[in-house]
Amino acid sequence: MLNYIIKRVLWMIPLLIGISLISFFIMHLAPGDITNTEAGFNPKASEESRQKLRELYNLDKPVIVQYGLWMQRMARLDFGQSFASHQKPVFWQTKDAEGNITKGMIQEALPITLLINILGLVITLSLAIPLGIIAARKYTHWQDKSITLFNFIGFSIPGFWLSLLLMYWLGVVNNWLPISGIHSINYDSLDTLGKIKDTLTHLFLPVIIPSVTGLAGITMFVKNGMLDVLHQDYITTARAKGLNEHKVVYTHALRNALLPLITIVGLAIPGLIGGSVIAETIFAIPGMGKLFFDAVLMRDFPVIMGILTIGSALTLLGNLIADIAYAWADPRVRRGVVKG
Amino acid sequence: MNGALFKKALSSRMALAGFIIISLVFLFAMLAPIIAPYDPDDINVKAILLGPSWQHWMGTDGLGRDVLSRMLYGGRISLLVGLVAVGISTAIGIILGAIAGFYRGWVDTLIMRLVDVMLSIPSFFLILAVIAFLTPSIINIMIVIGLTSWMGVTRLVRAEFLSLRGREFVLASQTLGAKDARLIFIHLLPNSLTPIIVSAVLGVAGAVLMESGLSFLGLGVQAPQASWGNILTDGKEYIQFAWWLSLFPGMAILVTVLGYNLLGEGLRDALDPRSDKRV
Repeated sequence: MLNYIIKRVLWMIPLLIGISLISFFIMHLAPGDITNTEAGFNPKASEESRQKLRELYNLDKPVIVQYGLWMQRMARLDFGQSFASHQKPVFWQTKDAEGNITKGMIQEALPITLLINILGLVITLSLAIPLGIIAARKYTHWQDKSITLFNFIGFSIPGFWLSLLLMYWLGVVNNWLPISGIHSINYDSLDTLGKIKDTLTHLFLPVIIPSVTGLAGITMFVKNGMLDVLHQDYITTARAKGLNEHKVVYTHALRNALLPLITIVGLAIPGLIGGSVIAETIFAIPGMGKLFFDAVLMRDFPVIMGILTIGSALTLLGNLIADIAYAWADPRVRRGVVKG
Repeated sequence: MNGALFKKALSSRMALAGFIIISLVFLFAMLAPIIAPYDPDDINVKAILLGPSWQHWMGTDGLGRDVLSRMLYGGRISLLVGLVAVGISTAIGIILGAIAGFYRGWVDTLIMRLVDVMLSIPSFFLILAVIAFLTPSIINIMIVIGLTSWMGVTRLVRAEFLSLRGREFVLASQTLGAKDARLIFIHLLPNSLTPIIVSAVLGVAGAVLMESGLSFLGLGVQAPQASWGNILTDGKEYIQFAWWLSLFPGMAILVTVLGYNLLGEGLRDALDPRSDKRV
C-alpha cells in the first residue's frame, strides 16, 4: 500500500510541472505586454501598478528566467497581492510591521466553496445511489424509464437557468428563501441557532442546484455499474445457492458496483470547482467562483493565476485521495493486478 | 458509417427523437430572417418589458426588443458556436489521438500526459482565464471552447487505434507496404468513426451549454448580438418583473441540449453491439 501511495504521489510531479507551464503560457497569451491589457481594460491601472506587474513577473527578463522565478514563488505558495482589492494577499494571510493580519483572498473564499460542494455532493450521492439501484433492478420497467427521462433532463438543463427559475419561484413569488449572499444583514445580532439557520437558508439554493444537475450523471453511473455486476457469474452463483434477492443486491452486488464511484467522484472535482463560478455569481456567494469571476472582469492577474493554480492543485489532490481510497477498497488495484 | 448502420441508428426511438428535435431547432434558426416578426435589434421605447401577447408572443425585453425575434436569431449563434467548437475539438482530438495510438512510445506518453494536465485544470476556470486575456467575441468563444475540450476525443481515438493497430487487416496492409498515412486514413480512422461521431454529438450538447453559460456571464456573445445566454442575463436583471425573459431562452437551451443528448445516447445504444446483450 505504501509503495502504491509513493508511486502515485511521485506521478503528480510531472502533472504539476505541466499545469504550471500551461498557466504560464496563458499568462503570456495576451498580445504584447500583459500590462497593456491590464491598462486597456482596467482604467484604474496606474503606471505604478503596471510597474508592479512588470516586477512581479520579471517581464524584462528572458522567458525561461521568468518561468524559473515564477516557479520559485509558486513553490513557496507565494501568489503575490491582488491589484484590484487594496493589495490583499492572494492566497494566505500576511502580517505587517505592526502585527496587523490581512487575510488572504483564497483563504477566505475556499472554505465557503468547499462547504457548498461537500454538502452538494452528500445530497447528490444520497439520492443518486438509491435511484441508480432502483433503475438497475427495474431495468426496462417504468421505474427505470422515468429515471432515465429525468436523467436526460438533468443532463440538459442549464444550471444557471434552473437557479433563475427557483430564485423566481422561491425567492420572488413566495419570498420563502433569501436569494443572495450567505448571511442576512442582521446576522451578527442572531444567537448561535439563529446564525446556523440563517446560513442554511442562504445556502439552500446554491447547494441544491448543483446537486440536481449533478444527480443525472451519478445515477446513470450507479445504474450501469449495477447492471454490469448483476450479470456476473458470482451473482448467478449467489442466486443459485438460494439467497434472497435483497441479500444478493445489497450484500453481494452493491459493494462492487459502487467501487468505481470513488473514481468518478474524484474526477468530478474540477467540474464542481469550475461550476461554482456561475452559481456563486448568481447567488452572490463570496466563494472561489465569484472571486475568480470578479478577478477576470478586473483583469486581476495575480488572483487569476492563484486560483487557477490552487484549483488545479485541489483537483490533483482530490484525484490522489480517490485513487488511494480505491486502492484501499480494492486489493487488486494496490497489488497492480488491474488498473484503477 | 454505412447505410445499414444509419438505418439502425434511426430505428432507435431515442436517436430519432433527438434527430427530429435538432432538425426543428435548426429549421427555426435558419428561417429566422423569414419568420421573425420583428427586427431583433429594433429598440422600441414604447414597448418595454411587455408580457407575452399576440403582438409579442414571448414578450419584450428591457429595451423593447421582441424576445421571439431575438430567440430565433440567437439560436443561430448558439447552434453555430456549438458546431464549430466541437469541430475544432474533434479535429484536435483525432490528430493527437491518432498520433498517440499509431506511433506509441514517447509521443504517446507526451500526448497522454498533456491530456492529464488539461483534465486537472478546472475547464471553466481555464476558459474564463483565456477569455480574460483575449476579448470576448463569437470567434474567440468557439476557439477557446474547442481548445479546452479535445481531451475526451483524444483518449477515445487513441484507444480505438491501439486496439485496431494489431488486427490482421491492418498488419496485412502494412506488410503489403502501405504507408503510415494510408494505414491511418484508409484503415484505422474509418473503423473508429462510430465512437467519434457519438462523442462529437454529445460534445455539441456540452458546447451549447458552455456558450450559454459564458454569454450569461457577459463573457461570451456580446450585446447587441442576441444569444440564448445573454437574453438570460437580462432575465436575471429583470427577474422581479419579467419572468418571460428567463423562461423562454432557458427552454430553448434545454430543448436543444436535450436533442443532442438524445441523439448521441441513442446513436451509442444503436451502434454499440455490446448494448444488445443487456436485457
